[in-house]
Parts: sequence; C-alpha cells; structure tokens
Amino acid sequence: MRERFITHFDPFVIPFLVGMAFVLGYCLVAMVRVIAELPKADRKRFLGSLFTPKYIWMNVRDIFLNCLIHVKLWKRNKVLGFMHSSIAFGWFMIIVLGHLEVMLFVPERIRLFYYPIFFNYFVAETEQTIQGSLLMFLMDFFLLLILSGIAIAIIKRFASRIVGMRRTTRLSLLDRVGLYSLWAIFPLRLLAESFTAHISGGSFLTIPTNWVFRQFLGNDLYALPTWWAYSVALCVFMCVLPFTRYMHIPAEMLLIPMRNAGIRIRHPRKGFATLEVYSCPGCGVCIDACPMTVRKANCKDCTVYLNRQLRRGNERRIEEIADKCLLCGKCTAVCQVGAQGPELRVAQRERRKYALSPSYAGINVRPMARAVAAGAGGESGGVLYFAGCMTHLTPSIRRATASLLDKAGVRWQMMDPDGGLCCGRPLMMAGRTEQARELIAKNLEIIRASGCDTLLLSCPICYRIFKEEYPLDGIRVVHHSVFFQELIAAGQLSIQRDGEAKFVWHDPCELGRGCGIYEQPRQALAAAGELVEAGRHHAESICCGGSLGSLTLSFDQRRPMVRNALDNLTVADPSEIVTGCPLCLSTFVRDADRPVRDIAEVLDSRC
Amino acid sequence: MVNRTPVIAVIGAGIAGLEAARQLAALGYEPVLIEKAPVAGGHVAEWNRLFPDMTPASEVIRPLLEQTSGIRTCLDTEIASINRLKDGFNLVLSDGSSLICQAVLFATGFHLFDASKKEEYGYGIYDRVITNRDLEQWFNTRHDPRVDHPKAVGFVHCVGSRDIKAGNAQCSKVCCITAIKQAIEIKEEFPDAEVYCFYMDLRLFGKKYEDFYIKAQRDYGIHFIRGRVSEVGEAIDGRVVVKAEDTLSGKPVRVTLDLLVLMAGIVCNPDAQHYAREIGATVDEDGFLKSRNNLAAITESSRPGVFFAGACTGAKTVPETLAEARSAALAIHQYLSKRG
Amino acid sequence: MDFGFKLSPSSAVNLDTVDRRRYDRLVQLEPDALTCIGCGSCSATCTAAPWSGMSVRKVILGLQRGRDDEVDAMLSRCMLCGKCTMVCPRGINTRHLILTLCRLDKNGEAVR
Repeated sequence: MRERFITHFDPFVIPFLVGMAFVLGYCLVAMVRVIAELPKADRKRFLGSLFTPKYIWMNVRDIFLNCLIHVKLWKRNKVLGFMHSSIAFGWFMIIVLGHLEVMLFVPERIRLFYYPIFFNYFVAETEQTIQGSLLMFLMDFFLLLILSGIAIAIIKRFASRIVGMRRTTRLSLLDRVGLYSLWAIFPLRLLAESFTAHISGGSFLTIPTNWVFRQFLGNDLYALPTWWAYSVALCVFMCVLPFTRYMHIPAEMLLIPMRNAGIRIRHPRKGFATLEVYSCPGCGVCIDACPMTVRKANCKDCTVYLNRQLRRGNERRIEEIADKCLLCGKCTAVCQVGAQGPELRVAQRERRKYALSPSYAGINVRPMARAVAAGAGGESGGVLYFAGCMTHLTPSIRRATASLLDKAGVRWQMMDPDGGLCCGRPLMMAGRTEQARELIAKNLEIIRASGCDTLLLSCPICYRIFKEEYPLDGIRVVHHSVFFQELIAAGQLSIQRDGEAKFVWHDPCELGRGCGIYEQPRQALAAAGELVEAGRHHAESICCGGSLGSLTLSFDQRRPMVRNALDNLTVADPSEIVTGCPLCLSTFVRDADRPVRDIAEVLDSRC
Repeated sequence: MVNRTPVIAVIGAGIAGLEAARQLAALGYEPVLIEKAPVAGGHVAEWNRLFPDMTPASEVIRPLLEQTSGIRTCLDTEIASINRLKDGFNLVLSDGSSLICQAVLFATGFHLFDASKKEEYGYGIYDRVITNRDLEQWFNTRHDPRVDHPKAVGFVHCVGSRDIKAGNAQCSKVCCITAIKQAIEIKEEFPDAEVYCFYMDLRLFGKKYEDFYIKAQRDYGIHFIRGRVSEVGEAIDGRVVVKAEDTLSGKPVRVTLDLLVLMAGIVCNPDAQHYAREIGATVDEDGFLKSRNNLAAITESSRPGVFFAGACTGAKTVPETLAEARSAALAIHQYLSKRG
Repeated sequence: MDFGFKLSPSSAVNLDTVDRRRYDRLVQLEPDALTCIGCGSCSATCTAAPWSGMSVRKVILGLQRGRDDEVDAMLSRCMLCGKCTMVCPRGINTRHLILTLCRLDKNGEAVR
C-alpha cells in the first residue's frame, strides 16, 4: 500500500469532520449535564462504579451485548434482531477494521481522524498480502451485512407486518432525515469504495462492482463526487442525530453503566430521567406490547411517545400519557434498552401540584396496634395476615386464605379484620409519595406491635410496597401464593389432584413483572390439576385492565383490555382461570366465560 | 296448493308465550310453542306467590297450561338455526326437525342476573347469602338449609340492576316490589326476625304497590335503609356482616344478619339476542330486543313477520306481560290478514 | 324584617348564594360525576371513612351545596385506595375525580 496524495487530505472529508465534531461536542456536553444533574449520592455512586473492576466488566459486557448485538431483540424477534445487530455490529466492525488497516499500512496516519473512514480513497494497492486481503474481505463482508440490515429496515418501514410488527412509530420530520441519511450512508460507501477499488484494492463485493461500473462508465470521474456524497451523508446523519431517535446510540452507552450502578429516576425531567428519554430508540416494540392498544386505541400513549413528548416538552400530552398508563411494566419487559416507562410516568405524576394534600398524621392507629398485640397474646413470631383494601371486596380470597392457614396449623392472626389503613401503593402510583410515607409509618406501628415474624399478603399491590418500601427488618414479607406453595412442599398442606381441572395462571403485573414471582404459584397449581399456559405469560403476561396504575382510563375504555386479556388467557382452553390478585379477580369475573378464582380458593377446595 | 292455516312459531313457553299461543289459536292460527326447558311456565312457574295480592303463581300458570294443552308444544327443544324464506321462516330445531312458519313471536323472556358476579356480596361463598329465586324455591319446597330460623334478614335491592359494571344499566322494575313482598312473607314466617331492605331508590309504580309498601312498614315493621350494600363479610359465628351507608342520615351502618337475600335483576336472555341477530331483528343498547316503536308498536320488530311479547324487550310485570302477549297476537293477526 | 328568630347560618343552605364554581369546573373535567345516583356504596366501603367521614357521594353533593370546608376535610384523608371506584355501580372513576378535585382551588382553577 502506498498513499496516493502527499497532502493526506481532500476537502471532501470536511463535512464528515464537521458532523463528527458536532456530535461529539453535543454528546460530551449532554453527558456532563446528565451526570451533573444526578443527586450527589447517585453521582458519587456512579463515578465510583466506573473504577470498580466488577462494574467495568459488567458495563463492557452489557454495552457489547445490548448496543452492538442487541441480544434482547434477538430473543424477541429474529428478523429485527438481525436487522439491528447487522447495522450496529457491522458498522462497529467497519470502524475497527478501518483503524486496523491504517495501523497496518500507514501507521503514521492513525492520528488523522478521518483516515480510517476514508482509507480506500487515500491509498493505492501496491501488492497483495494475506493480511491485506483478509482485511479487505472482512470490510466487504461487514458492508454486505450492513446492507442486508438496511434492506430489511426499508422493508420494515413500508411493510412492518413482514418483520412481525403490527404497529411501528410514526416518525417526526427530523427522524425521517436521520433515517434516510442512515439508509444512504452504506450504499454510498459501497459505491465510493467500488469506484476506487481498482486503485485501492477491494474484495468480493467492491471489485466486481468496480468492474461492472467500469464497463459502461469507463473513467474515474464519478469517484470523487461519490466520496463527497458519502461524507455528506455521514455529516447529515451526525448533525441531526442529537435531535432524532438515533440519539439512543450514544445515550445507551451512558445508560448502561448508570443502570448497572443502580441509579434510579429521582427527578421527572433531570439526570437519569433525561438519559432514559434519550435512550429510547423509538422502535415501537412497546406499542404492540402495551395492553392499552387493543383495537388500535391509545397507540399514542405508549412509552415511546411519552419519551418523544418529553423531548419536545409538550406538557399537555405528557400529562395525558403519564396519567393514562396502567403501570403494568410490560413496555419495560419488552424494551431492548429497558426503558422504565412506569417509573418515568410516576415521576411525572409526582411533579404535579395540588391545592389540597391529604395528611394521615391525625389518624390514631394505637387501638389497632393494641388489638394485634393482644391477638398475639404476648408471644412473638407467627403470621400476620394483611388482607388489604381490595381483598375486603373479594371475601372469597380472605376466607380461603384463613381456611388454608388453619388447615396447615399455622399460628396466625389478621391485621385488618375490620378494615385497616391502605398500604400506600395506590398513593405511590398516583405520584403522592410523601403521603404514602405517612401511611407506611402508620402501618409499621401496627405490624411491629404484633411481634410477628411473617407478614402475609393476598394482594400483590400491597405485597410490592411492603417488600420494596417498608423497613421491616427481621419480618418476612410473603405473598400467599408463595407461602402456600412452601406449605405444600413442606407437607403441611396436602392437595388432592383434580384430574379434570385444567388451570391457567394469570401473572398479576405487580407480582410477576413487579416482584419477579412466576414459578411458585404455578408449582402450587400444578399440584391441584393440569396447568396450561396463556398465549403470553410470565414477563409478557397481559395486564387484566383493572390496574390502579391508570388514573384516567374509564371503565368503558378498560373493557376491551379486559376482554383481550381474557382471550389471551383462554387460548389453551383451560377449565378455570386462576390469579393471585383480588383486583385481577374482580376485573375478570365480570367478563369471563368460565370460572375465575384466586389461587387460595383453588387450593382450599382441593385440600 | 290449498290455503293452509298459517303457522306461527312462538319461542318460549313462559306466560307471554302461553298467553300469545292461546290467543293465536283462538284467532284460528296454528301456533307452535318452542321451549328450551323441560317444562312450560317459565320464571313465573318457579315463583310461589305474586305481588301485590299474594296470588299463588299456580293460579296464573294452571289455566294457561290447561288452555294451551291442545297446542303443539316442543319442550326441551332449542333452535339450531333460523332461515328467512320468501314469505316466512324456516326454523331448524335441536331434534333435527324443521318448522316452516309465516311469523315468529319472541317470547324469550329474561335471565336472572348471576349474583355470583358481584364478588363483594359473597353469593356462592357464604352459606347465608341467597337470591330472590332461592327464596321463592324455599317458599315452594320449604327445603333449603340456608334458611334456618333467621333472626335478622337483609334484602339487597338492585343486584345487577342500574349497574353499568355488571353490564345492565337499567332498572329491573319488579325487584323493589318483589323485595317488599318477600320481606313480608319472611316476616309472616318468622315474626321475631328483624328485616332490613337496602335500596338505592324505591320504585313502586304499580297498582297497590304503595299500599304494599306502607303495609310493610306499618304492619310488619320492616326497616328500609336507603343505601347500597358495598361489602359483605363473615362474622366468627358464620353470620354475615353487611356494610352500607345510610345515605339519609349520612352515616355508615353495619348489621349482622342470619340471611341475606340478593334481589338479582332482570337481564335479557342471551339466546334471544342470538336468535334475533340470526333472524335480522335489532338488539337495543340495553341488551334487550328493540321494538319498531317504543310507544305505538312495542310488540313489533323492525323486521316484518317478527314479533315480540313480554320481557324480551325489557323488564315487565305479570299483567304487563299478559297484556303484551294478547297485543302481539293481534298484531300478528293483522299482519297475516293484510298479507291475505 | 324581623321574625323574632333566626335560622342558624351554618345549617341552612341558601341555594341563591352558593358558590358552585368548583363543582362546575369538576363536572366539566369529570362529567361522570353527573351520573352519581347517591347510592352510598363508596361511603360504606371507604377505607378512610372511619377517620374523616370521607364519602365521594357527600363530596359531590357538598360541592353543590357550598359545603367546601366539609368537602376539604373529607378529601384530606383519602388514601386513593380505589375501593370506591371498584364498587361504584355507575362506573365513575372516583379516584381520578378526587385527584382532580384536589388540584382545584376555591375558584375552581387548577393550581399550576
């Protein structure tokens, strides 16, 4: 290899340099801002993590697997996975190989920023070497990979169903500019490299293309303009990048280390929240996944649009989207960058101003505390069962739970036999965190007075907040489905199997995605009869539609969601739908065409 | 072809179907009664006594059955499909036979709301929670372990009525007066029992209903509480604890009861909706069948040759149903006469 | 004119002078409030009722009768648990109705 030009420069690299300088400058400023906006403790934690070997390894691994290979997307949809990873990983490899070429052939030019990108323009092949051919071959191979990805992207844009997506996002104008420039970059690179392939050398892709063009063009006059076009396409893409969804590429590289360090959303619009918003690739996977989008309703209220509106600062729409969501967490479960739609929405709700704020300080819980203390009879240990507001409306659950506890010979008492205080989770979902804290303090007083060692919940809404927010050191918080599964496993409850029964388990959002409990209820149910799965289950189960997470959805708007969730549950034609949440139960009972029962009822009837 | 007697298919052999068939036969037509259940008589046959005169239900049913004994009645029979013909209808019955008729009369009646759908009331869960129909059964048979010398009895009005979530926003019309009737009967049976009626609004529109209400208060000491029961819990001794708001005093009330009777409301028979769609008649927003005109042509559908009688178009009392059945018979007579 | 006695000003509602701005704004934002039939289900089931007499039924009525202080006292204990929404036979989104009301000041304007 030898260099073709003494100056090592051609004006056509200027657009690329401008674009690169702009995008790097922008990202640097944005990164500093995001880090500066973090609360002090979070910032310390994050920066500390960057120098801890464990985190460094995690960060490198996650960035490689998520940003380049798109592992999560592969698992979800092979075509989309191939499309994204071919472009991301291919591009990454082309940059790396470009640098290798420069280092191998003209090591003194490695400091020139543009050299590895436009290497083929600046050099002429003098002799063929093994390394050279291999690099050329790899360059062509990865370019072909990218081009195949781009081809799928074009098909997806015009016929999303072919790649398995029913709905994709509608693009804004700048997004379109970004998209078309991205599409243009690689075909232009192919053309540019092909035009100079007889000088710089090439491989299986560029050499034949070069030959074809030379047959009817006959001269090199087209080479320089094509290199110009390639550079301009890069420039356009990089200049619009910060204002398009492609901002997710740099943002995600910061998001991953931050999330690994355990940083959470503390402010609705600053710091980590901003980063989350910019990390959204706008792919629209959340639209199909969202339980609200049944019958094409509410498509514009999915997380991808929340992120877009947050970038635009459209307050009216932000409020609308933030308040409508069921907070079921499915968008997070399917999102390839793990965008925390529910948390982001709750943060927006927290920001709201009220003329009137409730206070529970005046509530005297001493009589309730005395009652549970008396119920314990001075003994410590035992189970304290908190039915919670919703279970009081589903007496069947309360009754079955009590019956099972008695059958297992567990020493237990009820925390709220005549109704108690709310657990605080509904307030938290509504963004009234301070008020929730007051309720937590009140409930703690009662729980502590009981001297129990286990707090039993039959409502996943309660379960989640008791587990996440209550400082209950030494007291085990357990959902009844898990507790009964353990009692069955320990032989304290013996379940008669019903040969006829065919159960399907509905994963309540707060229990499954919220707390990661999927298997114990299934194991318990399998003891009582045959267990079948819903169409979508585990982390991808569909919210019943009754969730307290949504503030604004009306009863009529929820009904199609309920029916859709029921259709999903009955694909394997179970004889009974079983759930572990009083709210899911009440919601399903109204519309189901077959019995719906709580897991406690099922177990109690077979015990 | 000789001029044959026109055949009219009457779907449902409750009081509406029986009365209409009787009238049609008297007018010289050939009605055919098609009934899903193994016996004729419908809901009224299951009832013990009827408001407001405490008339035994059998006094209504028996003459109807006697006078329709000569009419072809297909019991235990469902309709597999309905096809429209050029000048009539072809009904394929579940026994495989087919019935060619010139007109179809829907006397499909109503369904009692499934009270177990209202989870919070504990029907099917608590032993002491029954429905209005269960109580009538007990009056008939005196056999139900759930009714055991109750000292305190509650009636919950509007279970599945005026309830958008339960899918029935309409008032079921007859439950208020039925609750009063049953409360009086309970009081007659168990004079020492305290009886409470939890109502949202009392709708006592019919002849003698108001007297009945006054009698319940004055002569039987039945307590009326304006408030919908929101929760039913269970006391340690197995009795049920009912929570409601006494909206007149604005105070929450709770009472422990030995027996709670849910006044399940009237919803449209889902079979009727299915048949109506098949035959091309319209189902109204409330789930009941839609008349051509709610004032002047309540017994006629928007499709020629298809007629309605009784509770298939909305909740009705016994006299209203009977009157409508006769009116439907006349409407059919006019329709067939006009066609010649 | 002197009748020789006075009606206690606190107990009588003078519909001529009641300030209904908050109510008007509420029904504008939550039209479902107009479908309330005052059945009292919400009051009977309310988790906060034992401490404040909270009742969505009374809140809606109180606003129409100018009893704003009573309304605020009731709202100040609501825990947003959602039981009232679950039992309401009219399918009113009572939970959002309460949140909306908490945002309105005396003049019926949403605070910013």
